[in-house]
Amino acid sequence: MRVSFFITCLGDIFYANAGKSAVELLERLGCEVDFPPTQTCCGQPAYNSGYHKETLEVAKHMVEVFEHADYVVGISGSCVYMIHEYVHLFEDGSNWQKRAKALKRKTYELTQFIVDVLGIEDVGASYHGTATYHTSCHMTRLLGVKEAPFRLLENVKGLRLIDLPNRNDCCGFGGTFSVKMASISEQMVDEKVQHIEETEADLLLGADGSCLMNIGGRITRQGKPIEVKHIAEILNSRGEE
Amino acid sequence: MPMHIGEKDFRKRVSKGISDDYMRGAVRSAQERLQNRRAAAAEELGDWEEWRTLGQQIRSHTIEHLDYYLHQLSDKVAELGGHVFFAETGEEANEYIKQVIQKKNAKKIAKSKSMVTEEISMNAALEEIGCEVIETDLGEYILQIDDHDPPSHIVAPALHKNKEQIRDVFKERLNYKKTEHPEELALFAREKLREEFLAADVGITGCNFAVAESGSFALVTNEGNARMVTALPNTQITVMGMERIVPGWEELDIVVSLLTRAAVGQKLTSYITALTGPKQAEEADGPEEFHLVIVDNGRSKILGTEFQEALHCIRCAACINVCPVYRHVGGHAYGSIYPGPIGAVLSPLLSDYDEYKELPYASSLCGACTEVCPVKIPLHEQLIMHRRKIVEDEKKSTLAERVAMRGFEQIVHSANLYRTATKMAPFLTTPFAKNNRITKGPGPLRNWTDIRDLPQPANERFRDWFKKRNKQGGAI
Amino acid sequence: MKGSIMNRDRFLTNIRTKIGGLTASQPVEKPVWTVSPQKKVLKDYTPDQLVEVLEEQCQHIHTDFFRTSSNSLEKTLDEVLNHYGAKSVIYSNDERFVSYQLNPYFESSLSTGREIYRWNEKDKETSISFAEKADVGLTFSDMTLAESGTIVLFNKKGQGRSVSLLPRDYIAIVPKSTIVPRMTQATSYVQEMVDNGEDIASCINFITGPSNSADIEMKLVVGVHGPIRAAYIIVDDK
Repeated sequence: MRVSFFITCLGDIFYANAGKSAVELLERLGCEVDFPPTQTCCGQPAYNSGYHKETLEVAKHMVEVFEHADYVVGISGSCVYMIHEYVHLFEDGSNWQKRAKALKRKTYELTQFIVDVLGIEDVGASYHGTATYHTSCHMTRLLGVKEAPFRLLENVKGLRLIDLPNRNDCCGFGGTFSVKMASISEQMVDEKVQHIEETEADLLLGADGSCLMNIGGRITRQGKPIEVKHIAEILNSRGEE
Repeated sequence: MPMHIGEKDFRKRVSKGISDDYMRGAVRSAQERLQNRRAAAAEELGDWEEWRTLGQQIRSHTIEHLDYYLHQLSDKVAELGGHVFFAETGEEANEYIKQVIQKKNAKKIAKSKSMVTEEISMNAALEEIGCEVIETDLGEYILQIDDHDPPSHIVAPALHKNKEQIRDVFKERLNYKKTEHPEELALFAREKLREEFLAADVGITGCNFAVAESGSFALVTNEGNARMVTALPNTQITVMGMERIVPGWEELDIVVSLLTRAAVGQKLTSYITALTGPKQAEEADGPEEFHLVIVDNGRSKILGTEFQEALHCIRCAACINVCPVYRHVGGHAYGSIYPGPIGAVLSPLLSDYDEYKELPYASSLCGACTEVCPVKIPLHEQLIMHRRKIVEDEKKSTLAERVAMRGFEQIVHSANLYRTATKMAPFLTTPFAKNNRITKGPGPLRNWTDIRDLPQPANERFRDWFKKRNKQGGAI
Repeated sequence: MKGSIMNRDRFLTNIRTKIGGLTASQPVEKPVWTVSPQKKVLKDYTPDQLVEVLEEQCQHIHTDFFRTSSNSLEKTLDEVLNHYGAKSVIYSNDERFVSYQLNPYFESSLSTGREIYRWNEKDKETSISFAEKADVGLTFSDMTLAESGTIVLFNKKGQGRSVSLLPRDYIAIVPKSTIVPRMTQATSYVQEMVDNGEDIASCINFITGPSNSADIEMKLVVGVHGPIRAAYIIVDDK
């Protein structure tokens, strides 16, 4: 199966390891992975801030970048959802909208792709440790991927997964919200970190770099001994601590 | 701007909210209870999504034909002997209500809970002509006693107060002598208000739903105050926001069921009272005279726009009860009697962006509101639409943001520029980094790093790794 | 037309223009809704099953539940009134108190020192002032909703609104045949009357247990402005 990998801008700049793990994982599961090098950002920062004309240009670019792909697999539920949203940016019935629809149909978030398309729930990973998993809002509520990450994590040998209390609560990232409404965002991320601490897990996992950057940044600022990793890193691990 | 409450400056209101530990404790536990109850009530049905679909269909059909249904409603009410006044503004509504009251020479007004009368500042208008207006909903009563403290929630207006604060208010103002137990506080209010109900000349109610085909009005309550207000005084005035209407009783069933479940997790509240016209000749209790005031007050501006769905709202507050922003800042921070996600959508529409330009941004767009809305209003998407209007039509975004977004567009839709920019990131940020973390960012990064660390961009981007790996022979 | 309508044309024309309708309103056909989940609730339940649902729901709505036969109704009612310490009772002016033969009981109660008053729609003042001080308000249920535990009262003529509202406690006698699955059946009944151009009661009350409030810290307080306690007596039909 041929997969075109969508790294997302945060992944490219900050979380290269998550990307590497995802690529290795997909290959291990029998996919042939290519990386269209002209890909950029999904445009969500502009879209959510109300700059829709600007987003439209970004969307056109991304539609072109991935047009050749059989499948597009991204490592952020939020960015994948943004690609699905392109359909609404274009005029109804336009050629661009048709192309955006085609892109939507073949674009998946990593865990969603593994479970729903490859039909695999046990990726043969093993990792010794105690973790809790942050469900990001856009991935669960908007993209509708609720179960896939849990199915996969439950089958990781040696991993003890602890339920995160109030897991449906937002971490307070919200794109520009995190800087525009910094004081409110701070309260939200503090609450999230508190819930994570309550689990006494050593490791926080997530499938969205943006949430992890927010929560992780607050965790290190407060000097808490909790490690933060992208789910791909655990699914690709083969027994190392 | 009668809808407006509290301090003018948004940031001051937010800091005030965040630093109010009492309020935050009260809101947190209330949200938790209400969320659980709502979720249980929805789950119990087994087909909640179907109910929501039906609710959405009913609301959107009704609003699309609002003129027709209001026409039918008013015909029916008049046929039954009621008087209908259409008010384009709050002032017009208040003028009419004052006239009715003056004609009756009435002094004491008992009022059951109504957000629209808050919105048009009806109480103040009536007090100006020497009337005493008594709020009879327990929450509203508490606020009224406490120097007209504004409501912070559309269903539970005194949510921001804890029981100790309420005890102290009763003690100070009403010479209350008992404890802070809610049972004792409520019993005290029952006794106080009983006298008022019996003495009131005029009863004023809001309206949960009007039924066009029969000219009926449904009031959804738990305390029984709306029943008192409509059984005892000789004159009844019902004030409704013009969108609070359904075609027939079949539809009333659905919206009421959605409302009680979504608002408080009850199958039905203690009292759903459906009133049709003044009392009949052979009845003893009930009003002899009935007036209906239908209020626009900015609502028609919303019709025909991308925000029309906001008028589908049935005021259940489910969105408020799940909103994390509301949990931390409280209702008063919104500066509007309509707080939370629906308040952030509605307030700028009913008023304007000058007054409420920050509200559409007071959301992380987490979508919890959209997920629970019983009539499927896409609340978080409406907030994005507001942002778009602020940027494109109102041109009210900051210059810095416009420049940044313009730059963003240039960079991300050109593969080359994007590659250069991401390549530069580690070099530009190195001077600020320590242990691969940036703790004091330059310029716009400051707002981020004031609160959290930023990882130092890696020297080797993902794309560099992928390219190198392919050169070396690809997959392992 | 007995009433009046003010400012309507300008108001509705504005709405019509905004919505995008150009001509004066044509009659609107209500669409057929694509789903009807309300009709599936407790569908095909037998009367006895509905009674069970009602009994279970009463626990959630802080309402005492009693079941009796029409022959024992008098006895059960007496027990419940004693249980509630009812020294004064007001009941609605409803035929069914006669057909269920409760009048002799009311008369005999008077001799035991219990004050009993029948709502008199021709004497508002006495009726309300009695109701306001009464320990118990007593009515028959017109329709009873099993799902929510709701008594539906069509308040008209002798069925004063205040009987179920002002007294300290409220007792509803529920003939088993009045029990239906949910609100849907009650609203359909009213809808039918509306469609046939019949008058509906000026006040239709859906009463679900005693009054309550959660306005203080979202903690439930039972008994606010309306009755503080409520009881339903289910009775097999005459």
